[in-house]
Amino acid sequence: MHDHGSKPSKEQQQDLNKVLLIGNPNVGKSALFGLLTGKYVTVSNYPGTTVEVTYGNAVLNKVRTLVIDTPGVNSLIPMSEDEKVTRDMLLADRSDVIVQVADTKNLRRALLITIQLAEMGVPFILDLNMDDEAKSRGILIDQTGLSQLLGIEVVKTVAIRRSGIDRLLKGIQQPRPSTVAVRYDEAIEGGAHDIAALLPDAPISKRALALMVLAGDESLKSWLHVNLQDHVIAEIEKIRQQVQQKFNNSLGFLINQRRMGKADEILRRVMTLSEAGKGSTAAFYLGSWSMHPVMGIPILLGVLYAVYQFVGVLGAGIIVNFLEKTVFGEYLIPWAAKIVTFVLPVPFLQELIIGDYGIVSMALTYAIAIVLPIVGFFFFAFGLLEDSGYLPRLAVMVNRVFKIMGLNGKAVLPMILGLGCDTMATLTTRILETRKERMLVTFLLALGIPCSAQLGVVLGMISGISAAATALWIGTMVAVLFIVGYLTAQLLPGEPSDFVLELPPIRVPQLTNIMIKTLARVEWYLKEAVPLFVLGTLILFVADKIGFLAFIQKAADPIVVGFLGLPSKAAEALVIGFLRRDYGAAGLFMLSKQGLLDPVQTVVSLVVVTLFVPCIANFFMMIKEQGLKAAVLMVAFIFPFAVVVGGAMNWFLRSFHISL
Amino acid sequence: MPEKKRMQGVEGQAGHPALCVLPEIEKEDELLEAIWTLREDDRLSVETLIDSCRIDGCEEVLQSLAKTGWLEVKGQSIELLAKGERRAKELVRRHRLSLRLFYDLFSLDGAEAEACKFEHILSPEVTDSVCTLLGHPPNSPDGKPIPRGECCAMFKQEMRPLVAPLADLTPGEKAKIVFITPGSHSRLDRLSAMGVVPGSVVKLHQKRPSYVLQVGETMIAVDKEITREIFVKKV
Repeated sequence: MHDHGSKPSKEQQQDLNKVLLIGNPNVGKSALFGLLTGKYVTVSNYPGTTVEVTYGNAVLNKVRTLVIDTPGVNSLIPMSEDEKVTRDMLLADRSDVIVQVADTKNLRRALLITIQLAEMGVPFILDLNMDDEAKSRGILIDQTGLSQLLGIEVVKTVAIRRSGIDRLLKGIQQPRPSTVAVRYDEAIEGGAHDIAALLPDAPISKRALALMVLAGDESLKSWLHVNLQDHVIAEIEKIRQQVQQKFNNSLGFLINQRRMGKADEILRRVMTLSEAGKGSTAAFYLGSWSMHPVMGIPILLGVLYAVYQFVGVLGAGIIVNFLEKTVFGEYLIPWAAKIVTFVLPVPFLQELIIGDYGIVSMALTYAIAIVLPIVGFFFFAFGLLEDSGYLPRLAVMVNRVFKIMGLNGKAVLPMILGLGCDTMATLTTRILETRKERMLVTFLLALGIPCSAQLGVVLGMISGISAAATALWIGTMVAVLFIVGYLTAQLLPGEPSDFVLELPPIRVPQLTNIMIKTLARVEWYLKEAVPLFVLGTLILFVADKIGFLAFIQKAADPIVVGFLGLPSKAAEALVIGFLRRDYGAAGLFMLSKQGLLDPVQTVVSLVVVTLFVPCIANFFMMIKEQGLKAAVLMVAFIFPFAVVVGGAMNWFLRSFHISL
Repeated sequence: MPEKKRMQGVEGQAGHPALCVLPEIEKEDELLEAIWTLREDDRLSVETLIDSCRIDGCEEVLQSLAKTGWLEVKGQSIELLAKGERRAKELVRRHRLSLRLFYDLFSLDGAEAEACKFEHILSPEVTDSVCTLLGHPPNSPDGKPIPRGECCAMFKQEMRPLVAPLADLTPGEKAKIVFITPGSHSRLDRLSAMGVVPGSVVKLHQKRPSYVLQVGETMIAVDKEITREIFVKKV
């Protein structure tokens, strides 16, 4: 779906000079990538924004260059899927230059990676990014001293302000392997030496590989199996166990501890702290309040309310009304009708464009007049939240509740992202550590997290009824997510993982980044959604012409009319909901505007369409990430489940004569 | 070494004059400790005991322990009797606490050798003080459980511990990490990659709704259980 995510062909790769960006999470690799290539990739203020490798072309120093952005890592011994992606890039083939991007104020942790790159013997340079933020906190780094200690070029940049890029470009002309070295315990050194002798040639040094093996890097096993015979692997494992037996702590921990020791030694010589910038700032207090056990809740509610007002009332209400009624209703559709009747004297073709199921009157009206303003407003609000650093703090608030579902607070990140787009969010489940968690979150995303387009349409419809209706819809969704989540967690094997999540600083969002991000996402929405809207309309058009639509409506009547208590025409919205959930929601939106749905019907139909099967793009992503079997099983559950919950709600509201 | 402490170190051993029989007592101690350790691993039998024995005359010492009512030997099986159980527990506790003390607090090389000497001489009071000082650690550095003493059970900590779990800090306090008990290996590796290693200074930000700590310029939210495994000394 993101075209820049695709891997260039082999030939293309060989021709070009390659620059690989590597670094801790949330240090600005994607921002730098954008600067170097002019290509936009999502830049946010939380760790794990990038979960895939991204390629971009650039001409740097008059040389055609392939720039590669990677997911952030804390160590080159991967702990999760996204970290593995980065390590595998280093193993796959040799890059001409590696740029290690570091958050200057967190140099200590960056040095842990620097040391590992040094051990790998690869040529690289170190970029101290976010230099401004470090300075404002009173942290000063002696760039020349650091460069001497490491034996590589060190440059300073502030990527989001485009500062220092020329220095960086100069730096990448002189990559060198670093001279910094760590000596481990005798037994570890001995083991590394013995294992290195058994390893095949690789783009990185054998000692570095041997240390990875010693540290117990499970994810390296598949690589070993491709490159070595089984008896050699068994021998390597034997050496590892012999070394491990000599220590009480895990070798990985001991190795990291020694590396940290070296990092501290370097820091002592290059870092000076001044008290000047110290002291707490407003951002710091805001950050603390947002995860305060008491104050955190009103802040959360306030944020939700603001998003609701902005997206639901302003975007879905006022703007949609204007576009749909005025722009489309009074101008575009009548004009199109005039032109079409003039140019195309065939009634069949006229209908195809401006009829009940016409491309302009239905597909484009839905896509541009209803959904587009809603997603646009949502992406903007969402961008503000992403860049402020608020989202990870939400994880702190909900951790305990999520534990009940066999997840931890970290899982809130893909779930919130799902409110933007479930397809992207399904990919983001990679930041979760265990397969159980990834499965569970993928399932819940497909089940009950409405995507931005759908959410906007839903909010637009429901805010017109009453606060009680809104509360009922939200309450039902939350209850379904928790109950189904809890029960599924009991069924899925595996243990929940620990909650360990890095919290980025609270920052004032940059309007330019948010605008660019919103536009990039809107562009992506148009590219993905509009063709599907047109396709869906064509299917409806044909189905209507051959009488199949009437047949489906009739066949579905017992369920749609009898069980759910909805008008027969709602079946149509549910059918196109297979294609895109927001398309289905938009269909309901039109029904409701035409006054065909009473409040109870509106709530019931919205519950069904929210829980309803994931859209096609999401379904393919589920197959890609979790396998065909799991994806089919999930959908097979979701479809009847959505109908049952809707029916139960219809029965409940009608039997107790609850008016909304 | 003061005699008095030696006497107390092998509590309840009235039959042994303090000075002359120490080597014998130490042999007994070693054997009892070996029995306890093997039993922990579920590998206890006369054969494995003799195999792993590091003292001479292992079998004789075993027989004499059986004769004096510390334990019972039936075929291959060895069972500690009540007073043997108590003595072995105390020994193991002293040994592992000493290990913690030397290994973590003083970062001594050869902690094992020092601990071996100390286990024979610590008095019960000193043992409890060391235990309190270290914040009643649940494990020795090799991950084996430290048998609990009376001091650990006491609700009120009369002596302010020098080393305490991070979870016991008051929000806003800063402390230096002294040691981390290996609860789970991958958890440790993950934290160490974020800079949470012994020697780092950590600040506890808040405890509710989740624990949030700060190491250097990094804020990390973690589960409470993890903060119980990080032992710190206030700075």
